[in-house]
Amino acid sequence: MWYRILTTLTILMLFASQGAAEIEIRAPGQQEIPLAVTRFLAIDQARDRGVEEEIDQVLQFDLELAGLFEFIDPRSFLTDAGKLGLVSIDVDFQEWRLLGADLVIKGAYRLSGQQLVLEARLFDAKGRRLLNGRRYVGQRKDLRRMVHSFVDQTLLSLTGELGPFSGRIAYVSKTTGRKELYLMEVDGAQPIRLTDHRSIVLNPDFSPNGRDVIFTSYKNGNPDLFLKELFTGKERVLSSRSGLNVGGRYDAKGQRIALTLSKDKNPEIYLLHDTGGIEKRATRHWSIDIDPSWAPGGDQIVFVSNRRGNPHLFITDLQNDDVRRLTLKGKYDATPAWSPKGDRIVFSRRIEGQFQVFQIRPDGSDERQLTFGPGNKEHPRWSPDSRFLIYSNDKTGVKELYLMRSDGTGAQKVSAAGEDASHPVWSARW
Amino acid sequence: MKNWTGMFWLLLVVLTLALAPGCAKKPATGGNEEQPVVTNVSDKDVSGVDQSGMSGSGVTDRTGQDAGLQAASAALNRIHFAFDQFSLSGEARRTLTANADYLRANPGIKVKIEGHCDERGSDEYNLALGERRAQATKDYLASLGISSSRLMTISYGEEKPLDPASNEAAWAKNRRAEFSPAR
Repeated sequence: MWYRILTTLTILMLFASQGAAEIEIRAPGQQEIPLAVTRFLAIDQARDRGVEEEIDQVLQFDLELAGLFEFIDPRSFLTDAGKLGLVSIDVDFQEWRLLGADLVIKGAYRLSGQQLVLEARLFDAKGRRLLNGRRYVGQRKDLRRMVHSFVDQTLLSLTGELGPFSGRIAYVSKTTGRKELYLMEVDGAQPIRLTDHRSIVLNPDFSPNGRDVIFTSYKNGNPDLFLKELFTGKERVLSSRSGLNVGGRYDAKGQRIALTLSKDKNPEIYLLHDTGGIEKRATRHWSIDIDPSWAPGGDQIVFVSNRRGNPHLFITDLQNDDVRRLTLKGKYDATPAWSPKGDRIVFSRRIEGQFQVFQIRPDGSDERQLTFGPGNKEHPRWSPDSRFLIYSNDKTGVKELYLMRSDGTGAQKVSAAGEDASHPVWSARW
Repeated sequence: MKNWTGMFWLLLVVLTLALAPGCAKKPATGGNEEQPVVTNVSDKDVSGVDQSGMSGSGVTDRTGQDAGLQAASAALNRIHFAFDQFSLSGEARRTLTANADYLRANPGIKVKIEGHCDERGSDEYNLALGERRAQATKDYLASLGISSSRLMTISYGEEKPLDPASNEAAWAKNRRAEFSPAR
């Protein structure tokens, strides 16, 4: 009797938990889940091909780069792809399972004038349930942003961590003939120019909230550090000390800026308050010390120094000013960037006459080359979730911006062809 | 006692069985649970550059307006450096000695010394290297008796190449210190 009751209960419990089978993903590129991405359908309105194509474009770019999915060929789709049903009981999961899909993205839109409503759903075809359901209400011009945001949420529901695709990229472009500051979406769409300095603009960095950009400009005749508020357009000089005011980098809290100053007739790393006053001199050496990047904890800085001859990476502990050498191989290391998660540092190394992107752990282990082949790959920077990198590559003769996964796979060009674009930096989500 | 326990389990089983068919029909979903998360997207627009407000005027070249400065510009010869070096060669010293003579003869003229690099290093390292080149040049002129108050320095790193080509000849031209005279 007891035995039978217990058995029944166990079976019942198994039944109940079946629907909650989790899809677990550890890291990009480790496994690929079969995913069906359907074309979004118009709700009670005439179709708008422009809207549909833009949705497709953004979904394809973001999901492809995410590196988690194997895409089911849309030509094999059956009747459910053409049905508006966006609730799991209305979705023909059997049909999707027949095609081998574990995940299905369905959606719909309503465009009336400039008003846009976007419905987007991610279903677990095995578990026959909704994983991520979003309704976006806004303007036609916000469409790309809605889709980027849906992909970010999709990555959250599958991996437990938001995606970075609704961030922006700030970069330097020579489109006008002079280097000015620009901003674009992560996939290269909708670039806009932010400065009109008609001088030389260099090396931007975002404040952690994504609202401000700091950069160096020769506008006033000296390489000074500027701050630009993106939403007001206001601009001010943060540091105009004699000599270099370059390579400004915010700490993770946005309260301090590390940069190189040469007011002492020698390039040294300094820490500034966010208002521009000096908090601390972080290096003290006759050599060239440049390119600071913060550890996420704000207690260490990795930088480039030629104090042992060639430019190599060093890490200084801000509490006791202890400096240790990080890279031992190579003859010319540049532009380190500490990952937001803290476990890795990427940098450029000149090898066989060209810069390639490398990574190393902060303890000096696991040094690896991430890019290969022709072209200088410079200024690698992390996405805010540490899953992706953006950098410039000049293999076509001009510098162009590329994204790739942090393991070096999936490289894709994101800046306009032939546009001289460099010094990218990835903002937090907008 | 045994009866009570038996009743409890029986009740539990009956209740569970009663709920089970509902679960089987629509697993882990209910109408209310499936409401999408609604986001109102109101993209605050980033202020780009106002294209309409731009005119052609921008940088003016002041040396063109002053015959004295033009002459100084012609008289002060640039010097060149070896790859990744900021030390002055014998030839560079001879050029600087001539430049110092000119500056002594024209005490009203100040100069901005610009340090430049070839394109091969990293941008930031080259800014530092260019500054070292400008500084070494300034120090040498000062050692020849030119007041350092007349000598300013600035580094352009690899940003202003004389020759944009990517070959040894261009690189050698671009590794330099230049003199930009002012009143």
